[in-house]
Amino acid sequence: MSTEIKILKQVLSKYSKPMTLTYPSAVAPERRYSQIPEGLRGIPERDKDKCIGCRACYFVCSGRATSIYDKDAKRTVEIFLFRCTFCAHCQEACPEEAIKMTNKFEIAVPNREDPAARVLTELDLLKCKNCGTPYATRKLADRTYERLMEKIDPIVKETVSSDYKKLDGYCPDCRRAYGVDLDTHTKKYVWLEGV
Amino acid sequence: MVDLIYTVVSLIVIVPLALFLGVIYSYLLRKLSARFQWRVGPMFRMYGDLKPLLGTTRLLQPLYDILKLYGKETVVPDVSRRRLFVYSPYLSLIFAVAAIFFIPFPGMPLLSGVPYSLIIASYLLIASILFTILGPVASGSPWAAIGARREVELFLVSELGFVLSVFAVAIARQSLVIWDISSGGQSVYFALLTVTAGALMLVAMLGKLHIKPFDMPEAEAEIVAGPYTEYSGKLLGTYYLTKVFLLYGLVALFISLFLPPIATDVLWLPLYIVAAVVLVFLLTAVQVLNPRYRIRNAINWYLKVAIPLGVLNFVIALAIWLVV
Amino acid sequence: MKFGSTPDIAEYVRKEIYPDGLEYVLLRENRVVVKVNPGDLAKVAELFVKKFEARLIHATAVDLELKGFEVLHIYDFSKLKDRLVVVVKALVDKDSPEFPSIANITWQATWAEREMKELLGVKPSGMPDPRHQFLPHEWPNPVESGSIPEGYKFDGSSTTKEMYLPLRMPIEEAYQTLIPIGPYHPGVIEGQIVYVKVEGEQVVAADIKTGFHHRGIMRLIEQRGYNKGAFIAERVCGICSAAHGLAYITCTENLYEAEVPDRALYIRTLLVELNRMHSHLLWVGVVADVIGWKTGFMLTWGLRERVMDIIEAITGNRVNYGIWRMGGVSRDVPQELAEKAKRTVDDLKEECAKLLMLVADHPVVKSRLIGVGPLTKAQAYDGGAVGPVARASNWKIDVRADNPPHAIYDPKVISWEVITDDHCDTFGRTLVRVKELLVSCGIVSQCLEYLAKTTGEVRIKPKTVPLGAEAVGLNEAPRGELAYYIRASDKDSSLPHTIRIRTPSYRNNAIIPLMLVGSNLADVPVVMGSTDQCLACTDRLEIINERDGSRKSLTWDQLVNLSRRVSRW
Repeated sequence: MSTEIKILKQVLSKYSKPMTLTYPSAVAPERRYSQIPEGLRGIPERDKDKCIGCRACYFVCSGRATSIYDKDAKRTVEIFLFRCTFCAHCQEACPEEAIKMTNKFEIAVPNREDPAARVLTELDLLKCKNCGTPYATRKLADRTYERLMEKIDPIVKETVSSDYKKLDGYCPDCRRAYGVDLDTHTKKYVWLEGV
Repeated sequence: MVDLIYTVVSLIVIVPLALFLGVIYSYLLRKLSARFQWRVGPMFRMYGDLKPLLGTTRLLQPLYDILKLYGKETVVPDVSRRRLFVYSPYLSLIFAVAAIFFIPFPGMPLLSGVPYSLIIASYLLIASILFTILGPVASGSPWAAIGARREVELFLVSELGFVLSVFAVAIARQSLVIWDISSGGQSVYFALLTVTAGALMLVAMLGKLHIKPFDMPEAEAEIVAGPYTEYSGKLLGTYYLTKVFLLYGLVALFISLFLPPIATDVLWLPLYIVAAVVLVFLLTAVQVLNPRYRIRNAINWYLKVAIPLGVLNFVIALAIWLVV
Repeated sequence: MKFGSTPDIAEYVRKEIYPDGLEYVLLRENRVVVKVNPGDLAKVAELFVKKFEARLIHATAVDLELKGFEVLHIYDFSKLKDRLVVVVKALVDKDSPEFPSIANITWQATWAEREMKELLGVKPSGMPDPRHQFLPHEWPNPVESGSIPEGYKFDGSSTTKEMYLPLRMPIEEAYQTLIPIGPYHPGVIEGQIVYVKVEGEQVVAADIKTGFHHRGIMRLIEQRGYNKGAFIAERVCGICSAAHGLAYITCTENLYEAEVPDRALYIRTLLVELNRMHSHLLWVGVVADVIGWKTGFMLTWGLRERVMDIIEAITGNRVNYGIWRMGGVSRDVPQELAEKAKRTVDDLKEECAKLLMLVADHPVVKSRLIGVGPLTKAQAYDGGAVGPVARASNWKIDVRADNPPHAIYDPKVISWEVITDDHCDTFGRTLVRVKELLVSCGIVSQCLEYLAKTTGEVRIKPKTVPLGAEAVGLNEAPRGELAYYIRASDKDSSLPHTIRIRTPSYRNNAIIPLMLVGSNLADVPVVMGSTDQCLACTDRLEIINERDGSRKSLTWDQLVNLSRRVSRW
């Protein structure tokens, strides 16, 4: 009996304040709600100006939520939020730091096809000067060139740089097809020592 | 003649009034136990933006839950004995409402002046609970069989306590008519009897109303829903309605037997409501603070508590009868 | 901090423990692999279990494509020599995969062998209980047009003879007295069937059937690689997700020579102990609900909310933390957060102590829990109980003391203690969990103090996993001992070849029928709850029985052929 009285006293000491917190409502936002912590793992957002379309996020996505498809001359990078695990692998893998994890968490939609359940980024693709097929974005090509120039062996740097400028604007198939004609074929590196 | 018309009118009026009061007591049970558990419970004051959708209060929430059940699909199992299964909830409800006709309300004596009304009211309550046992047994589910078996055992011991306390009061007042008991005077001897017999009656009420620690017939963690497992839709709604009427009936019976003369005159109405609320508060406190007993332990506990108190009550009642 | 291996431990195994092995290989962190002939497996089991009193951690098999199957038995020798785990391997032929069963020698292997047989079709000979583990008991027959035949039919062919009804009762008797608790029942949280045979309210016999939560997790990790596997491994169970995360990451880091910064180890320990706190508070609430005390349920879950708030502030999510990376953790704990959390945890410790001691003193609670579900120490040892179930039977095993995943758990670094109790029933398990909760509060407090005072890096870049490496990772989940075995692929260093998970609920669920006999029907959910079941942890293997979207079901041989691995690339 005494245990029950003790429990009753302990419970009654807090009875006037229920622990229920109300959801922040658009109509009455002043109602009590716990602070949403800043570090809450919410949905990722991609900055369209920084994304280069390199597909690194597609390869590291844990839940296979990111998909990339090319249509006409546009590359769409899509994150399907129903499969996202908010693990931040894409944020770590992105070379341009274009993805940031926000703390938004309201992603419920009534229909799977609703575009609100997707994070879409559209990028323009370059078209090949020769055959017209789209192959890569402008920024991807520029970034690849910069990265290449940082890490390349200084012996071949000049040649590679000029070759690259000649081939700029051609898709990979055309580069292979016209390699001999434009004198960018790699057979010319055979005589270099140390390569 | 006027009396007859008044009685008939009051019999018609008491049914919705008992329903309304029973729903209010049910609401209080839920609200108070929610507050004890740091929850909010059904709302007494609505938030501003929900008012156009839900109204200003949820005071009648238990009634809305019952009405919701009436709108759902009723499924009758193939293996059940169909007539007994379907008629039991309605019979249970009819007997519970009939029992209420014999319990007075402030300003309406109803049928409580009929000779032997105490015995009639007790038997009608027993009959109501009997159909809470027979229907589930007819349903053919093993969970319902176990639940009904527990209900029978619990009912036997709680009825023992009920009978011992009620008839002690009857002996002391030398009457078996509820109206005479509830309009009798007070004295120090009656007050003593009220305390002991009232305590025993409260304990018996815990068993009849399935208040923890005595709700093992309906234990949902162990036997799904106990007796009500195969019931759904209208039939389950009727059973819940019976429970509401039973709550009102037992609270009213307690007040009219043990707190005379509150249940007699219409001027006592505010005190009647206060007494009812205090009683419901006590029942909630016991419900919130205890887990559920096993049936064996419940029987042991009841026998340990009910028999000594009952004997004590009889002794006091006999003493009063002889002295006064 | 890592412990490292004791030198010459492979020699020790060869000389002192088992001199007849074919080959002895040392894995990282005192795990020794002993290769034997398939015929010797029973002899080895007898020697290890009876003479050296080792515990069997798991028995499983790995599909090595053309070479055959490799049967693994993993034994725990940590009571004999510090942190020694011996993995006994035997290679059996693909066409005739027979080897002696060890279920007669030690009861701990019964479920594991049933699972092995079902998963890969190996044939342990002499199994005392050859029923299916996850597939339905009545299933060997081909099913016509996707519907289960009504009733249980035996047609006497050779495959069906092995598949018994639960409790080996004739069919007529089964329908009369058998009560199935499950698959849908308000008293159990997840789907399972516990068949109890009752007379009145007394339970006479019991059996348990799992397999309803099968999700194919081990196969998913094998397809996706080590990095992404961390996110799948922590979703095996929602309540103990940190324990799975830590065991998986420790196992993958044991595959290569990993050095993890100290601060990351403190953060990992912090999260695992916070996980333990919230799991034990959840459990107290669940047991209170099952015995009918909703108020106890609400009050303990109200305290649990504060723990979840701390977890949310540190990792960003309440349930699946997502900070496990190879080589460290992904987020650091800033200093003011660590101080604030430490204050909260210290307050919480006092409130928990007050409330839980009241719960344990309540007379009706005690009358419901004392004497319910008894398990003596001998029964616990034979049955292979782990975790608080074993510790409440006065058997002092705890992975954090015997086989710690990292050196932070050394009592010289953080002071804590192993709690045992000698009640041997549900009340004892309640006391063990409540006291462990308070010990975990102490560990969390000390970790937060360290994190608030120092700074450092929390992540270093991992190296590539060598081809063909193997590792065993152990951890103490809130429910008991959790074991991961990972074997790296021979061709691709970013994918594992095999991963095997043995969760604590696997062991504790197998003991439930032992504990139920003789108790009241009202106590059945209490006993089931007292082992702190996590059915999501128990079923995690893969079985395929749909193909191309059409509902065609398969025979036993077809299923076995599909479950085996075909050579990749």
